[in-house]
Parts: sequence; C-alpha cells; structure tokens
Amino acid sequence: MAPNTHTTLVTSLIIMILFVLARPCLLSLLPKEKILATLRFLTVKGVLTAFFLSLPLGVLVLCVEDNALAFSIPWFSTPSFNIFFSVKYDLYAAIFVPVALYVTWSILVFATSYMKGNPKIDHFFLFLLIFLISMILLVSSNNMFQLFIGWEGVGIMSFLLISWWYGRADANTSALQAVLYNRVGDVGMLFTMGWMATNLNSLELDVLFNNAGNYNLTPPLCGLMLAAAGKSAQFGLHPWLPAAMEGPTPVSALLHSSTMVVAGIFLLIRFSPLMDGNQFALTTCLWMGALTTFFTAVCALAQNDIKKIIAFSTSSQLGLMMVAIGLNQPQLAFFHICTHAFFKAMLFMCAGSFIHALNDEQDIRKMGGLFNILPTTSTCFTIGSLALIGTPFLAGFYSKDAIIEALAVTHLNSCALLFVLVATSFTAVYSLRLIYYVTMGQPRFSPLLAITENDPAILKPLARLAWGSIVAGLLITCIFTPFKTPVMTLPPLAKTIAIVVTVMGLLFALELAKQTSKQLKHSPNPFTHHFSNMLGYFPLVFHRMAPKMSLYFGQHLANQMMDQTWMEKSGPKKASNTNESASAALTAAQRGMIKTFLTLFLLTSVLGVLIVLY
Amino acid sequence: MSSFGRALGVLRTGTRLMRQGPHRILSRNGGGGPHIEPQYRGYPQLTKNQVIQSEILSGAMWFWILWHCWHEPDAVLGHFPWPDASQWTDEELGIPPDDEE
Amino acid sequence: MRASQSVREQQPVNMAGVGFRRWAQLLSERKGSGIPALFPGARAAAGLAKDGLPGSFPKTPEEKAAAAKKYNMRVEDYEPYPDNGEGFGDYPKLPDKSQQERDPWYQWDHPDLRRNWGEPMHWDFDMYIRNRVDTTPSPVQWSSACKQLFGFIGGALFLLYLGELFPSYHPVGPKQYPYNNLYLEKGGDPEKQPEEEVKNYEI
Repeated sequence: MAPNTHTTLVTSLIIMILFVLARPCLLSLLPKEKILATLRFLTVKGVLTAFFLSLPLGVLVLCVEDNALAFSIPWFSTPSFNIFFSVKYDLYAAIFVPVALYVTWSILVFATSYMKGNPKIDHFFLFLLIFLISMILLVSSNNMFQLFIGWEGVGIMSFLLISWWYGRADANTSALQAVLYNRVGDVGMLFTMGWMATNLNSLELDVLFNNAGNYNLTPPLCGLMLAAAGKSAQFGLHPWLPAAMEGPTPVSALLHSSTMVVAGIFLLIRFSPLMDGNQFALTTCLWMGALTTFFTAVCALAQNDIKKIIAFSTSSQLGLMMVAIGLNQPQLAFFHICTHAFFKAMLFMCAGSFIHALNDEQDIRKMGGLFNILPTTSTCFTIGSLALIGTPFLAGFYSKDAIIEALAVTHLNSCALLFVLVATSFTAVYSLRLIYYVTMGQPRFSPLLAITENDPAILKPLARLAWGSIVAGLLITCIFTPFKTPVMTLPPLAKTIAIVVTVMGLLFALELAKQTSKQLKHSPNPFTHHFSNMLGYFPLVFHRMAPKMSLYFGQHLANQMMDQTWMEKSGPKKASNTNESASAALTAAQRGMIKTFLTLFLLTSVLGVLIVLY
Repeated sequence: MSSFGRALGVLRTGTRLMRQGPHRILSRNGGGGPHIEPQYRGYPQLTKNQVIQSEILSGAMWFWILWHCWHEPDAVLGHFPWPDASQWTDEELGIPPDDEE
Repeated sequence: MRASQSVREQQPVNMAGVGFRRWAQLLSERKGSGIPALFPGARAAAGLAKDGLPGSFPKTPEEKAAAAKKYNMRVEDYEPYPDNGEGFGDYPKLPDKSQQERDPWYQWDHPDLRRNWGEPMHWDFDMYIRNRVDTTPSPVQWSSACKQLFGFIGGALFLLYLGELFPSYHPVGPKQYPYNNLYLEKGGDPEKQPEEEVKNYEI
C-alpha cells in the first residue's frame, strides 16, 4: 500500500473513531428528553463501534515500517508562536487505544446495571465518555498543548466522577484531594511546557526530540516526573488514589485503575527518548517506583475495605511500572499498563458486584462464602487476583515477570530490587487474603439478600474481561515488538525469583489464614498493624498538619494580627489612645495655680522693666 | 438465537420446577432474567447459566495455565542454563596448560 | 420525630438568613425617617454590624447566663475566651473538635455539616468543616505516628542510597577490557608495562 493511501486511511479512521465517540456528547446537547433518556445505550454502542474501528487502525500501524503515523495541522498561530494539532499514532497508541476501548466498553455495560436507578445516570455515561475522549487525545497527541488538554480533561473528569454522589461530604473531600494532588503534578507539567516554549519556541514533541542533545534535559524531566508522580499516585502524592474509592465502582474500575492513573506512566513512556541518557532522571524514577510499590503494598496488607485493597494494589503496580521506567525499559512499563488494565478493571467490577449483592457492604470481614451466591463473579475475582500476583501464563505474568527479571539482571540498585521483591510477595499475601475472606469460608454477611449477579449486564462484561485477563498477556507479547533487546539469558535465580517470592507470599498468607480458624491467645501487634491499617500514617500526618497550620495561622494572622494592628495599634484606637495620653500630659501642666503664675508673671515683667530702664 | 436461548431457559426452569417442588423459579421475561425469590438465611438459587459460566471460565484458566506449563515451561524456568565460570575447562577457553613452558 | 422534623423544615436553615432577618427587623422597627433611617445603626466601615458582633466580656454570673442563653448553650458548657484584649468578647470557647469527629449516625439537621440548627459555631468553624482539618482521635499518638512515618521514609531512602552504592548483579566472570586490560588504570607499574596485548579470547 502506498504510504499516502495509508496515511489517508489511518487519518480517516482516527477521525471516525473520534466522531463515533463524540456523537453521544453532541446528541446530549439537543433538548430532547427521549435522546437524553437513552444516552447510555448510545454511549455503549459508540464505544463498541470505536473499538471495532480501532482494530484495523492498529493493524495498519503495525504494517508501517517505523510503526508510527503522524500528521499535524496548523491550529492557531501568532506572529511569534505557532500551535499545531498534531497526532502521532504509534505502536503505543495503536495498542493502548483498543485495550482502553475494550475495557471501557465492558465497564460501561457493567455500569448500566450497577448505576441503574441513579438520577442523572445518562450524565454519568457522558462523563465517562468525555473522559475516554480525553484519554485518547492524550495518548495520540504529539504536542504538549494537546497533551495538556487531554491531561487536564482526564483530571477534571476524575474530579467530577469521584464526587458523583456529591451529597456525601466524604466524596467531596476525596474529590478535592484528587484534584489538589493532581494540581501539584500539573505544576511540573506546566513547568516543562514553559521550558519548551522558552528554549525551543515550540510545543511539538518532535522538535524536542530532535534538539534534545543541545540542552540540559534535567529540569524538564524533573517537571515531567513530578507530573507523572501526581497523576500516577507515586509516593508522596499517592493518598488521593485510595481516597478516590469514594466514587462509584465503575469509576474506580475505569479511571482509578486501568486508564487515567496510567497517564502519568504513559507520559514518561512518551518522553522516554529523553530519559535514555539522563542518569539522574532514571535513578529518581527507580527510587520513586521502588518506594511506591513497597509502601503501598505494605498499606494494602491490613486494609479491610475491598475497594481500598484493590486501590492499593493498583498503586503498587503503578510503582512497578515506574520501576520499569527507571530501568530504562519503557516498553515493559507500557506492556504492564495494557495487561494491568484487563484484570484490574475486572477486579473492581467484581468488587462492585459483591458490594451490590451485599447491600453496599464493603468490609471484607463481613463477606465470606460468596462463592455460593455469586459463582461467576467469584471466579472472575479469583482469575483477576491470580493474574495480578503473576500466576504463570495469565496476563499479569508476562509483563510483571519481565519487569522483575529485567530488574534482577541489571547492574542497578540492589535495594530497589529488594523492595520490588518484597512488594511482589506482599501482592500475593493481600490477594490471597482477599480471595480467602471474600469468596471462601463461612458467610458473615447479613442474612437477607435481594440482588444477585444474575444480570447479563454484569456477567457478560465480567466474562469478557476474564477472557482478556487470561489471554491478553500472550496476545500482546505476540503483537508487540520490543525496541530494545529483551533479556533472554539470565541466571536461574533471577528467572525464577518472581515466582519464588510469590509462592512464598502465598504460603505465608495461607499459614496466616489457617491461624484465623484456630483459637489462639489474642496478641495484637498494634505497631505494625496500625502502620499498615492507617496507610503508614501518611494521611494522618500530612492531611492534618498542613491544612491546620495554614488555616490556623491564616485565620489568626488575618483576625488577630492584621486587624489588631490596624484597628488597635495604628488606626482609630491608636488615635484615641494618643489623644488620651497627650491630653493627660497637658492636663498635668494645668494645675490651677493662677496666683502663683500671675505673681511670677508680674515679677518677671517688673524685672524686665527695671532692666530696660537702667 | 436469543429466542432459542430463551426457549431453552424456559424449558430448563420448567424442568427445575417439576423437579424441585417447593423451590420456585419463575420465568418472567419482564425483568430481564429468571426471577429469583429472595431468601432468608439461605443461599439464593443459582441459575445454570451462572454455574456453567463460572465453570467454563475457571476451566479455561486452568487449561491455559497447565497447557502452557506443559508446552513451554521455559517461560517460567528460563531458556538456557546460565554459564558457570568455574566449570569451564582450560581446553574450552584455549588456555594452555601451566607446564607448557 | 415527624412533627419536629416538619417544624425544622419550616425554619430557615441558613444562619446567614437568620442574621439577615434580624437586620431587616431592626430596619423596620426604626421609627425615624430621612437619611439616618437608611443606615441601620452606626455600621462600622470594617467588620460586622454591631448586632452580629459578640457582646462584651461577661463578668458576673448573671451576664454569663445571659450570654450562654444568647448562644443557645447551657450555662455549664459556656466558657468565654479569656479577656486578654483579642476582641473575642463573650463568644463561647468551644472545644477544638472537627465536624468529622462527630457522630455520623445521629440525625443532624445538616447531615453534611454534622451540625444542628442554631448550634453555636466554633470560632474557627471554617477550619473544622468536614473537608478540612480532622481532629478525630487516632489509636496512635501524634508524635509516635510522625516518628514511624518519617522513620520509615528515612529508612527507606537510606536503604535505597545503600543500594545505590552496592548494586546487585550476577557477573559470569571478571570484566575484561581490550588492549592491555587497563593495566595502568588498575594501578600497574608504569615501568614494567607489558608490551603485548592481553588476549581475552582466542578463536
């Protein structure tokens, strides 16, 4: 096929996808109740169509020689600065877009059942759709400006969707947390954009890549890493991700596990050519990723809320992706993004199904024996957990194992390796804990059950994603040609270490689970339990100290110091006080001793007259 | 196809009705699936669809894992043995014996 | 319960509304005419109207009781801020507790503020609303929480630094270099520099 035809085909396909996705949004502008009431079905259909359109697009991109297609149209221009609308549809976008569309389609179908009866449910679907469009814009843009629009688009949709139940103060607090932590990241993003505009006079990524050799790239990379840390909830900016679980479960499944939170990692993958030679950036990413994956795995161990555990496992996997970036293996990070999307979305949907069946009970201590009432959900839950811990040949294995192997054979930080291995083994521990407490054993839930999973809108998407979690790893391995030589030969220890630590974690968790069925003397260890259960005290310390400090001092500065200074010390009160003291001083001079004064006056006048006369 | 499936469902629930007596599963097409009586202190009844689907999924997963374990265990255990330097002989390395000079 | 709820619904919920109503009443009660009537009281250029300000510091028990009644409080609970010239007047000093800390299951008049109608507000109420400062007691002491968190972060960073110094790798053999295997760089004697190249391999 001639390259020209090829480009035309690809461009038209991209435009078709965007149109299909934008159609429900545009239709919602029509003032017709009938359309508004069926918008959710239109959305589901639109996303499915877009998925089928994205498949040939992916194939076309794979056929091209350098696996990338780019075009740019002048968007708006000023005398000194031009901004283009430029799209780069490369291998990353070609794989990520179908995966995202497939996962979104499943989640939307699930949401038609899960959100049934919610007021404004069609707006909910519109929000998810706008989010999806922003995400596609983000992954396919070849321009910082456009990337920033997508970046902020997913951010604002995340805010709106977390506070979907806006009547609840907890949901509002979580949404505020999310938006504030993301703003910290955006500072980095804006800094990089400013750096590019100043030094390169362009926001095009290609210009940056072509001129990368002429500049010190550490400052813009620092900005990008900050942006990625904010969006992908890396250590220090992580607390918003577990807090975001206040949103509806489909939102957690779509935004806070499979698509939006990986945008930060994706940003670094896009900019990975810059990081290639920058040792500082790579080391920072490695440290950040290792710390995140370890810390959040520790936090996940003693949580009791099913969604929080899955959220922390997401955070831990994001740390693992960051480690892969720090290893200078962005392909592996990307691969993990794609496989992770399948099983993490499915885990959240299973959690949603459980929560619904148990009348909104999220505490895993009050579940148990759910295999008897929700067999398919439990099966999918188990498959998802197994894929997450890296059971050989399920989706998670291909990507996770590759990252750990690459880390094990690289001549790099041994402590980062240790952290990642411990986190991997903890993954096995808390996943098994989830399976054990939720699906196995005796029921501990309330005896009246009204809702079951028996709705095709729940079962079908779950099954779809379950198939995805089983085969996606191998499929993507087949499609994805690595740019860098993959690690082929490695010592048996490095090859098997991921499996070994996972099995160790599993055995450890089983042993612990066995203990719970025995009557043992209760000997709590609050030190470690509280550290894990209270999220490492991070929110406790930072979320109380920082606002209290600023608000308390702000209040007292404004009320006590400023007002007092102006009103009392220098303003009206000062004037009255000054007058009082001045008049008191003057009064002291007025003693009423008229005779004495007059005598003195007379004496001095007489004296004066005498002196004048003689 | 869907009507065929629905007919099967009706048949299936019908036979179940015949078989089980007091446990009632009524087929109501309005609600989008078989109507399931809420249960107090008992597990809700499962439809065959749920059970079969869960069996198929776990079966597929185990088949996938075991089939691959049988056919390509090297993905887990490693492709080649890692060379052990202490096992190399002088002959292989081309080092002449010490007493040559 | 039903009846009281319906009564509550009739009452204005917004405290600002209450203030406004009083202000309007003040306006309508005034008998005078002309321009002075348009100014309700001598309103200061800055700050609240005189009506909205706290009264003077209560000294006698009677004044205290009156102030407590004014703020819808019991006399036992009422305690003014100390009179040290900061202008709190008779405003009650409420415990520094956030709204988040209050009982979530109680039927509050404003469930999302966890506040009843007409309840006295903390002086720093805007600081203690539910999405801001939380003072819920935690099972761990503040100092111990800080120590553990910063100890964890510090320890992890120190370990990572150590890891940076001692990287992990499984080499098969010692690293080899071309020519003379970095004879000089490895501290070999420059006088006795070997002439011939070191042969690392032979084909």
